[in-house]
Amino acid sequence: MFGWHGKILRVDLTNERVSVETIDPQTAKDFIGGRGWAIKYLYDEVDPTVEPLAAENKLIFGTGPLTGTPVPTGNRFMVTTKAPLTGAISCSNSGGTFPTEMKRTGFDLFIFEGRAERPVYLWVNDGQAEIRPAGHLWGQNVPQTEDALLEETDPQARVACIGPAGEQLVRIAAIMNDKHRAAARSGVGAVMGSKNLKAVVVRGAQEVPLAEPEALRELCRTVRSEVAADVKKGSSLREYGTAYVPIVTNEIGILPTRNFQSGVFEEVEGITGRVLTEKYLIRPKPCYGCPIACGRHTRVEQPPYEGEGEGPEYETIASLGSACGIGDMAAVTKANYLCNELGLDTISTGVTIACAMELYEKGILPREDVGMELRFGDAGAVIDLIQKTAYRRGFGELIAEGSYRLAEKYGHPEFSITAKKQEFPGYDPRGSKGMGLLYATSNVGASHMAGDLAYMEVFGVPKKLDPLTIERKPEYIKHFEDLFTIIDAAGLCVFLSIRYLCDPTYEVMPTRMTEVLNLATGADYTVESLLQAGDRVYTLERMFLVKAGFTRADDTLPRRMLEEPMPAGPAQGHVVELDVMLPQFYRLRGWDENGVPTAAKLEELGLRREK
Amino acid sequence: MKVRLKLFATYRRYLPPDSSGNALDLTVPPGARVGDLLAQVGVPERESLVILVNGRDAGPERVLQEGDAVAVFPALAGG
Repeated sequence: MFGWHGKILRVDLTNERVSVETIDPQTAKDFIGGRGWAIKYLYDEVDPTVEPLAAENKLIFGTGPLTGTPVPTGNRFMVTTKAPLTGAISCSNSGGTFPTEMKRTGFDLFIFEGRAERPVYLWVNDGQAEIRPAGHLWGQNVPQTEDALLEETDPQARVACIGPAGEQLVRIAAIMNDKHRAAARSGVGAVMGSKNLKAVVVRGAQEVPLAEPEALRELCRTVRSEVAADVKKGSSLREYGTAYVPIVTNEIGILPTRNFQSGVFEEVEGITGRVLTEKYLIRPKPCYGCPIACGRHTRVEQPPYEGEGEGPEYETIASLGSACGIGDMAAVTKANYLCNELGLDTISTGVTIACAMELYEKGILPREDVGMELRFGDAGAVIDLIQKTAYRRGFGELIAEGSYRLAEKYGHPEFSITAKKQEFPGYDPRGSKGMGLLYATSNVGASHMAGDLAYMEVFGVPKKLDPLTIERKPEYIKHFEDLFTIIDAAGLCVFLSIRYLCDPTYEVMPTRMTEVLNLATGADYTVESLLQAGDRVYTLERMFLVKAGFTRADDTLPRRMLEEPMPAGPAQGHVVELDVMLPQFYRLRGWDENGVPTAAKLEELGLRREK
Repeated sequence: MKVRLKLFATYRRYLPPDSSGNALDLTVPPGARVGDLLAQVGVPERESLVILVNGRDAGPERVLQEGDAVAVFPALAGG
């Protein structure tokens, strides 16, 4: 096989045994890789009603056919499991250097099953895998864990691990790699913790075989020169990271502010990319081989926020910053460092604390339960709660459950800004209607990465769409979900893929992406068959949700988004007209009026209802 | 007639060198269009330019009104 190794490493943690399996070429092609292969295995092997933290759940690390190839940004991996935050599937994705190194071990996928009796880590070195004791690492934070593992394995190895939050089964715990990168969402870190799996360490020298290496390298040179030309003209991502975004989302009135009570934040000037670049940036930090370099290596010297690390990026600024009413970049950066060290998802952590702040200010959450004041804008409280959350101490025990369970406990789930119990990312959908449909229907709960139409509604890539209209948005969301599924499954990063591997037209067809995949794999995709493969993966994920008990009632948004008009700014007066978009969207997906894929749709995609 | 021009992301480079924020208060003649305003500060009219007037989508032909806030930035990869 080309692009894929065609090999899967199965890790039975209960019996501490590893084994190697192969995948047949047709399945490889039909499900693309990474995210696609993972849902195929999860659907076939795991009861969708399983308790996410039970030993019977499985945790899958997946690279795609372009991970570890010369394709720029072909350096992502996906974590797929049944998620403890949502009860749906997870699709947490990360870059850094770990994914390429994982692919170089000679395996495309690692499947973790069962539960180790004691803390362990997996060490995969060039085709050889070994389960090793990790008792000495339990309780260590992320940088401590990585440093110790590099010392006892190979200084050139790469590490993915959990911090204290994952060990404590915090429902918003991340899996961290390369210390500062996160497969963050849906509580995947807690699944790793439930399996007593502290870390995965990889080292390898197995090059990815390519179907047409010369032609692929030539095309990659073209892509790189296009990126370089843009960087020369001035690249916002290179200069500011994604931190350039708050000023833009604030301008259109969708920057999450005080738990999404508004989309306009009066202190936005304190959390812009300019502040980050001028005051705290040491240097841009690219993922492996990336010509864009949106990552930020930063340092804060100003007490009490001293520290050094990576970030923040936009989602973190919106959640730990404006959503909590905080307009101080030093404070946000410090909160980001802490989440990374302890292994927490910054989005869910920030938006859950924001929910607690609203409950507190409304007099629903009493001071004695929190143990302190908890008002919007209190950065000290945010930093304190992050630490308590990771160790489930004091009021942190409730933040650790995510905002839905927190707000429900106090009788007001309507103040939890979540879809399928997962906290919203940084675009208030009342002023970005396509994103509203996406959050409501996504298989993973509220997520921008499930089909980020903000590219068009906010940023004008490849073309600008009016964010306030619902016209054609169901079509776009269906298309973007399929596109993002392909990008994830291929092992690509969206930052490059939408702009440089799709047609720069309103149709956003993945023409060059198809070409790149064919040159790498020799799989002979057409644009249509590739989009159909994206649809196949997305629909199978949906089938997992259907069997887990999700219904149309779960494809919804908090009352605030549906009934409370945006109070200020350019989106003032708007709500999300979900009831109009949802039936259109279901029809376009080939799902019935309850959001269940029809028999005809399953047949068209070659899927079976039963395993 | 007074309008405000906001230059985001890499378009900050069109601000005067001593600017600390990202906005310019400018005077334009009645009937001026967004394109005229951009020409006044030297922002090239590219296809990939995103233009907002008072936070809503607009094009270079849009006629300006007293007090309008115009924001421009290059089409960006998302956040």
